[in-house]
Amino acid sequence: MGDRDPTDRRSGPRDPADPIPPEARAANLALWNRWTRIHEKSAFYDVEGFKAGGSSLWPLERDELGPFVHEGTSLLHLQCHFGLDTLSWARLGADVVGLDFSDEAVGLARRLAAETGLAGRAEFVCADLYDAGAHLGGRRFDVVFVSWGAIEWLPDLERWAGIIARHLRPGGVFYLAEIHPLYSALDEVPGEHDVRVRYRLVPAPDQPDVEAVEGSYADRDADTTGLTWYGWAHSFAEILGALTGAGLRLEHLHEFPTAPAPAWDWMVQDEDRWWWLPDGRGGRRKDLPLSFSLRASKPADEARRAGAAGTTGPAGQEA
Amino acid sequence: MLDDYLKANLASWDEAVGLHVGSELYDVAGFKAGKTSLSDIELSELGPFVGEGTTLLHLQCHFGLDTLSWARRGAVVTGADFSGEAVRTARALADEVGLPARATFVQSDVEHLPDALPTRFDVVFTSWGVLLWLGDLERWAEVVDHFLEPGGTFYIAEFHPYAFLLAEDTTPDALRIGYPYFMHGVPQRFDEDGDYADAEAKLEHTVTFEWLHGFAEIVDPLLRRGLRLDFLHELPFTVPGLPFPFLETDDRGMLRLKGHHEDFPLTFTLKMTKETR
Repeated sequence: MGDRDPTDRRSGPRDPADPIPPEARAANLALWNRWTRIHEKSAFYDVEGFKAGGSSLWPLERDELGPFVHEGTSLLHLQCHFGLDTLSWARLGADVVGLDFSDEAVGLARRLAAETGLAGRAEFVCADLYDAGAHLGGRRFDVVFVSWGAIEWLPDLERWAGIIARHLRPGGVFYLAEIHPLYSALDEVPGEHDVRVRYRLVPAPDQPDVEAVEGSYADRDADTTGLTWYGWAHSFAEILGALTGAGLRLEHLHEFPTAPAPAWDWMVQDEDRWWWLPDGRGGRRKDLPLSFSLRASKPADEARRAGAAGTTGPAGQEA
Repeated sequence: MLDDYLKANLASWDEAVGLHVGSELYDVAGFKAGKTSLSDIELSELGPFVGEGTTLLHLQCHFGLDTLSWARRGAVVTGADFSGEAVRTARALADEVGLPARATFVQSDVEHLPDALPTRFDVVFTSWGVLLWLGDLERWAEVVDHFLEPGGTFYIAEFHPYAFLLAEDTTPDALRIGYPYFMHGVPQRFDEDGDYADAEAKLEHTVTFEWLHGFAEIVDPLLRRGLRLDFLHELPFTVPGLPFPFLETDDRGMLRLKGHHEDFPLTFTLKMTKETR
């Protein structure tokens, strides 16, 4: 994994049918490149703590996906930002590939991998999500991992799910920890520390939300002057429909009244770093879902059929 | 505790049967004249899996209009409800419309139904305002799984968790939240006169205990029983019967959120399969 990378976005073919409009892609790329520089120094990401041996993964992710990640597990992290989570899975023994469209983020991820001695088991690919196939070719992984604020940047979840399914081996596991569709649709009640439903709860791939960016989820006071955000609303029907439509089988769906980052400065953080809506009486609101996780698997039938033809071992093993 | 909740809810449902049989919402006369009580939603999504001779179990069937509507389409049906009033009314209706040979009704709550019914079914069906009355969806999922034949289909059409979220004073410009999305097992107590089929009704039994459930609470127990999710759909409209002031009727007779006819889900449907292993 040297300095020159044959998978660099500029050398790969661009998909002519990219569902992300060019102006949205340009705006979001400028944003994520700026956010990368901000996040590298943020307390939220705590890069120094990671370098000193810490894990950036939430206990939730380690509890729910950890049992599927062992020494030598191959793991693909889509929309990996600057790779802290990717490298944290590598520290747990996985051979990881992180993919992100921000060249600044991928550059930082590669530097961090080298600095922490993980370069031998971590590879970073700079590519648009919808271009993943052109860069990963026929590579298949034991695990595909996506987390926290990833799907809001994608208008087309069917193609997203198709990419996940294509790069999972039969018997492989997809894991997603995400912002809840309802949390994404909430806004604060003017003048109150309370929320109401403000944004759409039904997806509209042709109608991105376009807003001026104010800081970052990791640093609310950061200077993001002149940057614009293009995002897309999603629903459970859409997310689950995309995954089942791609042939994956839903294994679990969990919802939580906690979020990994605050949407408003009056939200409250607990001792485990989770953010809550306050209940107005000094406690935490448990009645609204702020995040969810799901696990889906790629049926091993394909491997079984291949096994019957004598070309591969038991289900779950690569040919 | 659970028994107290069940007793209050049972008294309320026993009393509701008489009201509902005479109500415009349920249109029993129309049903007797040959109309189906099923909405286009169930008919289009579950209809293809219900043919002549399909065995179908309808959980929480109330007085059996939907159960008997599936029987009219050829299914051999069993309806189960915890209300003795509802089951007696359902049996009388089955006789009256000439369907007793292909319709059985059993009085039991969901939890204890496996003790009352020895058979398995091609289809387990349940719909519209059922989950509110169940505190324990783990047991519910177990019962659904128990009654499905290998290869069988589970289908639910239900009010969306978001449909119960909004406060009474919600307006199109300010969708205020008045109720929980999920409540982690602790029911909400209501003490209200009137009924969803007859707002003017004067009731003897006004106290009910109801549970709101999020998607994970509904889907995850079924996944843990090994059922395969085929689809989860969300629709921005629902069937008549939700007595909320912020809803209005569209030109197809379905309810939608005022000012948000396309972007606020009010219905979800779920189809799952018990795979043959």
